[in-house]
Amino acid sequence: MTLQEAQPITTLLDTRTVQSIADEVWPSLVGDGEAFVPVPVPPPGDVVSAWVDIIGPWTGSVVVTCAPATAEALTESVLMTRPPTVVDAEDVADALGELANVLGGNIKSVLPGESRLGLPQMGVAPPHGRLDDVRSLVGQWRGNFLTITVQGAAPAPHAERDEVPL
Amino acid sequence: MRALVIDDSRAMRRIVGTILTGFGYEVREAGDGRLALDVLEEGYVPDLCCIDWNMPVMDGLQFVMAVRANPAYRQVTLMMVTTESETGQIVKALAAGAHEYLIKPFTADALRDKLALLGLLPEEVSA
Ligand SMILES: [Mg+2]
Repeated sequence: MTLQEAQPITTLLDTRTVQSIADEVWPSLVGDGEAFVPVPVPPPGDVVSAWVDIIGPWTGSVVVTCAPATAEALTESVLMTRPPTVVDAEDVADALGELANVLGGNIKSVLPGESRLGLPQMGVAPPHGRLDDVRSLVGQWRGNFLTITVQGAAPAPHAERDEVPL
Repeated sequence: MRALVIDDSRAMRRIVGTILTGFGYEVREAGDGRLALDVLEEGYVPDLCCIDWNMPVMDGLQFVMAVRANPAYRQVTLMMVTTESETGQIVKALAAGAHEYLIKPFTADALRDKLALLGLLPEEVSA
Protein backbone atom coordinates (compact mmCIF):
# COMPACT_ATOMS: atom_id res chain seq x y z
CA MET A 1 0.00 0.00 0.00
CA THR A 2 1.42 3.32 -0.99
CA LEU A 3 0.21 6.70 0.10
CA GLN A 4 0.98 8.93 -2.82
CA GLU A 5 0.91 12.68 -2.76
CA ALA A 6 -1.56 13.73 -5.46
CA GLN A 7 0.20 15.26 -8.42
CA PRO A 8 -0.79 18.75 -9.55
CA ILE A 9 -2.53 19.15 -12.89
CA THR A 10 0.47 21.07 -14.27
CA THR A 11 2.50 17.86 -13.91
CA LEU A 12 -0.22 15.64 -15.37
CA LEU A 13 -1.30 17.76 -18.33
CA ASP A 14 0.53 20.15 -20.65
CA THR A 15 -1.04 22.96 -22.65
CA ARG A 16 -0.16 21.29 -25.94
CA THR A 17 -2.34 18.29 -25.06
CA VAL A 18 -5.28 20.54 -24.17
CA GLN A 19 -4.81 22.47 -27.41
CA SER A 20 -4.71 19.29 -29.49
CA ILE A 21 -7.94 18.11 -27.87
CA ALA A 22 -9.53 21.50 -28.59
CA ASP A 23 -8.30 21.24 -32.20
CA GLU A 24 -10.36 18.07 -32.61
CA VAL A 25 -13.39 19.22 -30.66
CA TRP A 26 -14.00 22.59 -32.34
CA PRO A 27 -14.50 21.46 -35.97
CA SER A 28 -16.52 18.43 -34.87
CA LEU A 29 -18.82 20.17 -32.43
CA VAL A 30 -18.73 23.92 -33.12
CA GLY A 31 -18.58 23.60 -36.90
CA ASP A 32 -16.44 23.14 -40.00
CA GLY A 33 -13.45 25.47 -40.03
CA GLU A 34 -14.02 26.59 -36.43
CA ALA A 35 -11.09 26.71 -34.00
CA PHE A 36 -10.06 27.65 -30.51
CA VAL A 37 -7.11 29.99 -30.99
CA PRO A 38 -4.68 30.14 -28.05
CA VAL A 39 -4.00 33.85 -28.46
CA PRO A 40 -5.26 35.78 -25.43
CA VAL A 41 -7.62 38.73 -25.79
CA PRO A 42 -8.76 40.98 -22.90
CA PRO A 43 -11.38 39.28 -20.67
CA PRO A 44 -14.95 40.61 -20.77
CA GLY A 45 -16.57 42.15 -17.69
CA ASP A 46 -19.15 39.42 -17.46
CA VAL A 47 -18.56 35.70 -17.93
CA VAL A 48 -20.41 32.38 -17.91
CA SER A 49 -18.90 28.94 -17.50
CA ALA A 50 -19.87 25.36 -18.18
CA TRP A 51 -17.93 22.54 -16.58
CA VAL A 52 -17.75 18.83 -15.91
CA ASP A 53 -16.12 17.30 -12.86
CA ILE A 54 -13.45 14.62 -13.07
CA ILE A 55 -13.40 12.39 -9.99
CA GLY A 56 -10.41 10.09 -9.61
CA PRO A 57 -6.74 10.09 -8.62
CA TRP A 58 -6.88 13.74 -9.70
CA THR A 59 -10.18 15.45 -8.86
CA GLY A 60 -11.36 18.74 -10.28
CA SER A 61 -13.23 20.32 -13.16
CA VAL A 62 -12.78 21.08 -16.83
CA VAL A 63 -14.24 24.54 -17.33
CA VAL A 64 -15.11 26.52 -20.45
CA THR A 65 -15.49 30.24 -19.76
CA CYS A 66 -16.54 33.07 -22.08
CA ALA A 67 -18.80 36.12 -22.29
CA PRO A 68 -22.55 35.42 -22.34
CA ALA A 69 -22.72 36.76 -25.91
CA THR A 70 -19.93 34.40 -26.96
CA ALA A 71 -21.76 31.47 -25.37
CA GLU A 72 -24.83 32.40 -27.40
CA ALA A 73 -22.81 32.67 -30.62
CA LEU A 74 -21.17 29.32 -29.88
CA THR A 75 -24.59 27.77 -29.44
CA GLU A 76 -25.81 29.25 -32.72
CA SER A 77 -22.73 27.81 -34.39
CA VAL A 78 -23.24 24.36 -32.85
CA LEU A 79 -26.88 24.36 -33.99
CA MET A 80 -26.36 26.42 -37.18
CA THR A 81 -27.56 24.18 -39.96
CA ARG A 82 -30.15 22.74 -37.66
CA PRO A 83 -33.20 24.74 -36.60
CA PRO A 84 -34.47 26.27 -34.31
CA THR A 85 -32.40 29.29 -35.24
CA VAL A 86 -33.40 31.27 -32.14
CA VAL A 87 -31.43 29.94 -29.17
CA ASP A 88 -32.72 30.19 -25.60
CA ALA A 89 -30.93 29.90 -22.24
CA GLU A 90 -31.50 26.15 -22.17
CA ASP A 91 -29.89 25.75 -25.60
CA VAL A 92 -26.87 27.75 -24.40
CA ALA A 93 -26.47 25.67 -21.23
CA ASP A 94 -26.82 22.51 -23.31
CA ALA A 95 -24.34 23.46 -26.05
CA LEU A 96 -21.71 24.97 -23.74
CA GLY A 97 -22.20 22.02 -21.37
CA GLU A 98 -21.64 19.49 -24.13
CA LEU A 99 -18.52 21.38 -25.21
CA ALA A 100 -17.21 21.06 -21.62
CA ASN A 101 -18.29 17.39 -21.58
CA VAL A 102 -16.40 16.43 -24.74
CA LEU A 103 -13.31 18.40 -23.70
CA GLY A 104 -13.55 16.91 -20.20
CA GLY A 105 -13.88 13.32 -21.36
CA ASN A 106 -10.85 13.61 -23.59
CA ILE A 107 -8.81 15.30 -20.87
CA LYS A 108 -9.88 12.60 -18.41
CA SER A 109 -8.54 9.94 -20.78
CA VAL A 110 -5.01 11.36 -20.68
CA LEU A 111 -4.91 11.57 -16.85
CA PRO A 112 -3.44 8.59 -14.97
CA GLY A 113 -5.66 6.02 -13.31
CA GLU A 114 -9.37 5.42 -13.52
CA SER A 115 -11.66 8.42 -13.19
CA ARG A 116 -15.33 9.22 -13.44
CA LEU A 117 -16.90 12.11 -15.35
CA GLY A 118 -19.75 14.16 -13.89
CA LEU A 119 -22.67 15.68 -15.80
CA PRO A 120 -22.27 19.20 -17.25
CA GLN A 121 -23.03 22.15 -14.98
CA MET A 122 -23.39 25.84 -15.70
CA GLY A 123 -22.68 28.96 -13.67
CA VAL A 124 -20.07 31.65 -13.18
CA ALA A 125 -17.39 29.18 -11.99
CA PRO A 126 -17.18 25.81 -10.19
CA PRO A 127 -17.87 26.42 -6.47
CA HIS A 128 -14.83 24.58 -5.10
CA GLY A 129 -12.06 25.51 -7.48
CA ARG A 130 -8.49 25.57 -6.20
CA LEU A 131 -6.25 28.41 -7.24
CA ASP A 132 -3.00 26.44 -6.85
CA ASP A 133 -3.87 23.47 -9.07
CA VAL A 134 -4.74 24.96 -12.45
CA ARG A 135 -3.84 24.32 -16.07
CA SER A 136 -5.44 27.10 -18.09
CA LEU A 137 -5.52 27.81 -21.79
CA VAL A 138 -6.48 31.41 -22.41
CA GLY A 139 -7.48 32.18 -25.95
CA GLN A 140 -10.29 33.13 -28.27
CA TRP A 141 -12.94 31.90 -30.60
CA ARG A 142 -13.77 34.18 -33.55
CA GLY A 143 -11.84 36.91 -31.74
CA ASN A 144 -13.85 36.58 -28.53
CA PHE A 145 -12.32 35.74 -25.13
CA LEU A 146 -12.59 32.06 -24.23
CA THR A 147 -10.68 29.92 -21.74
CA ILE A 148 -10.37 26.22 -21.13
CA THR A 149 -9.40 25.69 -17.50
CA VAL A 150 -8.56 22.42 -15.80
CA GLN A 151 -8.83 23.18 -12.11
CA GLY A 152 -8.37 21.04 -9.01
CA ALA A 153 -11.19 20.83 -6.45
CA ALA A 154 -10.73 22.00 -2.88
CA PRO A 155 -10.33 20.42 -0.41
CA ALA A 156 -8.33 17.73 -2.16
CA PRO A 157 -10.40 14.57 -1.63
CA HIS A 158 -7.79 12.35 -3.28
CA ALA A 159 -4.91 12.55 -0.79
CA GLU A 160 -5.63 9.18 0.80
CA ARG A 161 -6.23 7.16 -2.34
CA ASP A 162 -4.16 4.05 -2.62
CA GLU A 163 -5.79 1.95 -5.32
CA VAL A 164 -3.58 0.73 -8.10
CA PRO A 165 -5.36 1.06 -11.44
CA LEU A 166 -5.46 -2.24 -13.32
CA MET B 1 -33.68 2.15 -41.68
CA ARG B 2 -34.56 3.40 -38.25
CA ALA B 3 -32.34 4.88 -35.57
CA LEU B 4 -32.76 6.02 -31.98
CA VAL B 5 -30.28 8.68 -30.82
CA ILE B 6 -29.86 8.72 -27.04
CA ASP B 7 -27.95 11.61 -25.49
CA ASP B 8 -28.68 14.09 -22.71
CA SER B 9 -27.36 16.90 -24.92
CA ARG B 10 -29.94 18.18 -27.39
CA ALA B 11 -27.14 19.69 -29.46
CA MET B 12 -25.44 16.30 -29.74
CA ARG B 13 -28.74 14.54 -30.56
CA ARG B 14 -29.25 17.05 -33.34
CA ILE B 15 -25.73 16.57 -34.71
CA VAL B 16 -25.95 12.76 -34.74
CA GLY B 17 -29.57 12.85 -35.95
CA THR B 18 -28.75 15.20 -38.82
CA ILE B 19 -25.92 12.96 -40.03
CA LEU B 20 -28.12 9.85 -39.84
CA THR B 21 -31.00 11.60 -41.62
CA GLY B 22 -28.52 12.47 -44.37
CA PHE B 23 -27.77 8.76 -44.69
CA GLY B 24 -31.47 8.09 -45.20
CA TYR B 25 -32.36 7.05 -41.65
CA GLU B 26 -35.64 7.73 -39.92
CA VAL B 27 -34.50 9.14 -36.56
CA ARG B 28 -36.05 9.42 -33.11
CA GLU B 29 -34.38 10.89 -30.04
CA ALA B 30 -34.33 10.26 -26.30
CA GLY B 31 -32.66 12.31 -23.54
CA ASP B 32 -31.63 9.41 -21.30
CA GLY B 33 -31.64 5.61 -21.13
CA ARG B 34 -34.99 5.38 -19.36
CA LEU B 35 -36.73 7.54 -21.98
CA ALA B 36 -35.07 5.43 -24.68
CA LEU B 37 -36.47 2.23 -23.14
CA ASP B 38 -39.90 3.91 -23.19
CA VAL B 39 -39.50 4.49 -26.94
CA LEU B 40 -38.63 0.81 -27.47
CA GLU B 41 -41.55 -0.31 -25.30
CA GLU B 42 -43.89 1.88 -27.38
CA GLY B 43 -42.96 -0.33 -30.30
CA TYR B 44 -40.35 1.78 -32.09
CA VAL B 45 -37.67 -0.90 -32.39
CA PRO B 46 -34.85 0.64 -34.43
CA ASP B 47 -32.07 -0.97 -36.45
CA LEU B 48 -29.55 1.20 -34.64
CA CYS B 49 -29.21 2.91 -31.27
CA CYS B 50 -26.52 5.61 -30.88
CA ILE B 51 -25.93 5.78 -27.14
CA ASP B 52 -24.21 8.40 -25.03
CA TRP B 53 -22.57 7.10 -21.83
CA ASN B 54 -22.94 9.93 -19.30
CA MET B 55 -26.61 10.77 -18.85
CA PRO B 56 -28.88 11.42 -15.86
CA VAL B 57 -31.53 8.88 -14.69
CA MET B 58 -30.18 5.92 -16.69
CA ASP B 59 -26.75 6.02 -18.27
CA GLY B 60 -25.70 4.42 -21.54
CA LEU B 61 -24.12 1.35 -20.01
CA GLN B 62 -27.26 0.57 -17.99
CA PHE B 63 -29.32 1.04 -21.15
CA VAL B 64 -27.15 -1.41 -23.08
CA MET B 65 -27.56 -4.00 -20.32
CA ALA B 66 -31.33 -3.47 -20.20
CA VAL B 67 -31.67 -3.88 -23.98
CA ARG B 68 -29.46 -6.96 -24.04
CA ALA B 69 -31.52 -8.53 -21.26
CA ASN B 70 -34.62 -8.43 -23.48
CA PRO B 71 -34.67 -11.00 -26.33
CA ALA B 72 -37.31 -8.91 -28.15
CA TYR B 73 -34.56 -6.37 -28.93
CA ARG B 74 -32.02 -8.91 -30.18
CA GLN B 75 -31.90 -7.35 -33.66
CA VAL B 76 -31.08 -3.86 -32.44
CA THR B 77 -27.49 -2.79 -33.10
CA LEU B 78 -26.03 -0.79 -30.22
CA MET B 79 -23.33 1.79 -30.83
CA MET B 80 -21.86 3.86 -28.02
CA VAL B 81 -21.22 7.48 -29.04
CA THR B 82 -19.39 8.95 -26.12
CA THR B 83 -16.53 11.00 -24.80
CA GLU B 84 -15.52 8.05 -22.56
CA SER B 85 -12.45 6.96 -24.46
CA GLU B 86 -10.33 4.82 -22.12
CA THR B 87 -9.76 1.21 -23.22
CA GLY B 88 -11.29 -0.03 -19.95
CA GLN B 89 -14.55 1.77 -20.68
CA ILE B 90 -14.67 0.49 -24.27
CA VAL B 91 -14.12 -3.09 -23.05
CA LYS B 92 -16.84 -2.64 -20.42
CA ALA B 93 -19.37 -1.41 -23.00
CA LEU B 94 -18.56 -4.15 -25.51
CA ALA B 95 -18.74 -6.79 -22.77
CA ALA B 96 -22.20 -5.48 -21.81
CA GLY B 97 -23.37 -6.01 -25.39
CA ALA B 98 -22.56 -2.88 -27.39
CA HIS B 99 -21.49 -3.67 -30.98
CA GLU B 100 -19.47 -0.58 -31.79
CA TYR B 101 -17.89 2.39 -30.12
CA LEU B 102 -17.47 5.90 -31.52
CA ILE B 103 -15.56 8.46 -29.50
CA LYS B 104 -16.60 12.12 -29.32
CA PRO B 105 -15.49 14.29 -31.00
CA PHE B 106 -16.16 12.48 -34.27
CA THR B 107 -16.66 13.44 -37.90
CA ALA B 108 -19.55 12.45 -40.17
CA ASP B 109 -17.06 10.29 -42.07
CA ALA B 110 -16.12 8.43 -38.90
CA LEU B 111 -19.79 7.70 -38.20
CA ARG B 112 -20.26 6.58 -41.81
CA ASP B 113 -17.26 4.21 -41.49
CA LYS B 114 -18.69 2.63 -38.33
CA LEU B 115 -22.08 2.13 -40.00
CA ALA B 116 -20.40 0.57 -43.05
CA LEU B 117 -18.54 -1.79 -40.71
CA LEU B 118 -21.84 -2.79 -39.13
CA GLY B 119 -23.55 -3.24 -42.50
CA LEU B 120 -25.94 -0.46 -41.60
CA LEU B 121 -25.11 2.01 -44.34
CA PRO B 122 -27.79 2.16 -47.07
CA GLU B 123 -26.30 1.11 -50.43
CA GLU B 124 -26.94 4.46 -52.12
CA VAL B 125 -24.81 6.13 -49.43
CA SER B 126 -21.92 3.66 -49.49
CA ALA B 127 -21.76 3.76 -53.30
MG1 LIG C 1 -23.88 13.11 -21.96
